[in-house]
Amino acid sequence: MVNSALFDFIRGPLVWISFVVFLLGLVFQTYRFFSLTKKNPHVIYNPRPRKKISKESIDHFINKTKLSVAGVNPVMIIVTTVFHICLIIAPLFLLAHNLLLDQAIGFSLFSFSEKMTDYLTIVLLICGLYFLYRRLFVPKVRAITDWYDYVILLIATAPFITGFIAYHQLVPDYRLIITLHILAGEIMLMAVPFTKFVHMVFFFVFRFTIESEYSLGKGNRTW
Amino acid sequence: MAKINTAGVDTDRVKERLDQYKTKMKLSLKACAHCTLCAESCFLYMARDKDPKYTPSYKFINSIGILYKKKGMVDKVTLGEIRDNVWERCALCTRCYCPLGINIPEMLALARSICREQGVYPRYDRE
Repeated sequence: MVNSALFDFIRGPLVWISFVVFLLGLVFQTYRFFSLTKKNPHVIYNPRPRKKISKESIDHFINKTKLSVAGVNPVMIIVTTVFHICLIIAPLFLLAHNLLLDQAIGFSLFSFSEKMTDYLTIVLLICGLYFLYRRLFVPKVRAITDWYDYVILLIATAPFITGFIAYHQLVPDYRLIITLHILAGEIMLMAVPFTKFVHMVFFFVFRFTIESEYSLGKGNRTW
Repeated sequence: MAKINTAGVDTDRVKERLDQYKTKMKLSLKACAHCTLCAESCFLYMARDKDPKYTPSYKFINSIGILYKKKGMVDKVTLGEIRDNVWERCALCTRCYCPLGINIPEMLALARSICREQGVYPRYDRE
């Protein structure tokens, strides 16, 4: 049984607090990144001319992919991509979340059907189980895994586990599970800028701005 | 907590070196998702029957990660272990690939530099 005042706090002010912490944290980490790097005047962005699609260009792309991290670890790359896509789109386009958003600020996003979000949640949890399997049984992953990695995995999947249980009403105390669901989501949001989840910012800012042979963007900055 | 025997290690100097790179080091350690996708990019990892100790992230966490965690308060034995990670298990070829963009070679070079300052480095003429 959840205390009424506590329930109201978790589903009210704490939601906005977590959004503010999440957004300000992201701004702070992005600022910190830019303060650590500077523009490299020696790099001039000179994109290669686009080649027409031909058999050679397709072969070249396939060979390049085979040698890349996606070619070496295809399963992990597919699983991690699917996991991250589900992690973002499932809560963002969930009908119930959008209804709450509409009630709160009169604005909402497009919503998937409830069945669709249910499938996305299941897919995400299967991906999470794959990560857990790697942490437990793959020697190279096990060698660098500590308790913190399991906590991070739990924080990332907890909103989905509790959300799934709440939606299907798998436990008799709905109020308890929905409170845990809201709390889990808030913890995850607040944890993003200050824990290992910071790779959310790190990935985009680094891969697009720092000059290296692996740059995805202009790569005109340097440490 | 057991007291660390830091005899023979200038911990103030180690701390000073770490402080120079603190923010970058902290951010890099925090951003490492422990995914080990960097493993196969290391030719030594591939050549040593995929021994996990040759994974770039393992070397990074067990060198700079330890120095940062212990705030430079390390003993000679720990520095010796770090030496094994950054010299014996790394050629500093800079070919390691981190999908998140962490500059692993730079971090390992920093660990080497700190070890060297403390007189901990491979003595090929003696070993």
